[in-house]
Amino acid sequence: MDNSLKITEMRKSIGKSLLYTLPMFLITFIFVTGGRPNFSDPASGLAMLTVFLLVNVLYFLMHYTGKTDRYRAILFIIFALSLSYSLIHNMLEVRKSMSFSQADILECKIPFCHLVIPMMILPAAFTKSIIFPGSIIGGFANISSMVVLWLIATMVLGRGFCSWGCFYGGWDDGFSRIRKRPVIKKISELWKWMPFAVLIMVMLTAALSMMPTYCSWICPFKAVTEFEQVTSVESATKAGIFLSIFGGLVVVLPVMTRKRTQCSFLCPLGAINSLSNKITPFTVKIDKTACNECFKCVETCPLFALTREDIKEGKVSLFCSKCGKCVDACSRKAIHYGIRGIPAGTLKNFSRNLFLFVSFLFMSMFSAGSIINTFHGLLKLIF
Amino acid sequence: MKKVKIIAGISWAFLGLLLIIILFPGLNSFSVSVSKLPFMKLNSRYTGGDIARQMITANCTLDIRKPVFNGFIKDRSSGFVQLDWHGNLPETIKDSVDFDGDGKIDFNILINRKDPKTAIEPFNNMVKKVLISTPTSYGWAVRVGLDKN
Repeated sequence: MDNSLKITEMRKSIGKSLLYTLPMFLITFIFVTGGRPNFSDPASGLAMLTVFLLVNVLYFLMHYTGKTDRYRAILFIIFALSLSYSLIHNMLEVRKSMSFSQADILECKIPFCHLVIPMMILPAAFTKSIIFPGSIIGGFANISSMVVLWLIATMVLGRGFCSWGCFYGGWDDGFSRIRKRPVIKKISELWKWMPFAVLIMVMLTAALSMMPTYCSWICPFKAVTEFEQVTSVESATKAGIFLSIFGGLVVVLPVMTRKRTQCSFLCPLGAINSLSNKITPFTVKIDKTACNECFKCVETCPLFALTREDIKEGKVSLFCSKCGKCVDACSRKAIHYGIRGIPAGTLKNFSRNLFLFVSFLFMSMFSAGSIINTFHGLLKLIF
Repeated sequence: MKKVKIIAGISWAFLGLLLIIILFPGLNSFSVSVSKLPFMKLNSRYTGGDIARQMITANCTLDIRKPVFNGFIKDRSSGFVQLDWHGNLPETIKDSVDFDGDGKIDFNILINRKDPKTAIEPFNNMVKKVLISTPTSYGWAVRVGLDKN
């Protein structure tokens, strides 16, 4: 009886939820269809319509059910899968292979991703140049566009970028949801500082070698995007390293721990995004007057952003990616989305609605292109 | 003070909302502006360096690029010179290269595109070995390792 009351409390009416969804509906309609839906190619029209409906149904359900993480994760995981699919599909069409050659490097044709950004900083400051064989402007996945997207998203969402924008995060988020209970329960909190060590290491090694060392040697997501052609002992070693890290940190450990271990223990960009949590307008707040210290939020946090001490002190650490898992887990709504400057426990619905609109709009607009491409490709395969 | 903080927080949140709304429609123009920043150019280790001179023959053109030695703080002792052949390339490419423009040949290069094998005959102590020799979309590219001694 008590539980059903709580669930009823969290739900909004269908009319109110539809009203909240209307602005998202209009903006995504204009963005996805360009304002003029075109069904001259039925497959691409259907793909566009499916993605448009998917995005808006998920957003509606976030409002209607009062749950955030479940529906965020659906789009987030689809985004990760579809980006890998469309990237690999594109490379197989252009290069007939997932690997890139020395010629692709010499001609600066390597697609750029946000994980390179930490390694760009020192060389850009000292040599006034970018150490990546990609395209500055124009072409596929150019450096300028990705820098703009990341910079604005990180300024507004902080580490929220890692749960609402990163097209790799969906991989370990997805694997962390496979088991209902974790097999490994105790992991030292100290590991969460590891991304800062990786950040310092890759920034220094990249500057000294003038090479994006994380991409060359460590990045596990080469397993689901592209990698250097294996032609020597060195390139074979690199392949062994990234495949092992992908297997360990993106697949096995997330399944065993129900945590996003790659994001928590390795990603150097995650470390920078954590620091940006200090300036972002949106935060997660703890209302100490409502909290009964059940610590469900601590258990459920996928990024080790909450400790029992944090809850007792009523603060969320800078590692928080605003995924909403803890917010959904709290039956007393003591932990909630907030806006900087507004005291915990006040304007909860206003803060949540504004944050959800901003973050979900970013994710849906960022992901729409690759999800449409993927759906279109799959429809063409089926029919 | 509390009210000021609240108003500032809400204003910042709405500014964030505005930024996200204009981000995608304005992405192209934002990107063009960012690409014009002084540090937004590829390092010569990736572009191969500026073209120093061209050798034009009946069928193809050879671009000899400036030697690249750049490092993080100062130049390195080892670097490379990149050569790019464009056009209708013969099966065997044979050229004499003067990369420093002193009028003396620094090395001869022989590329068998079918094999593919690349050999150099150095006449300058700086010239070390072939680092990369690969077909490209425009023809063929070679990087020859150099040492400043």
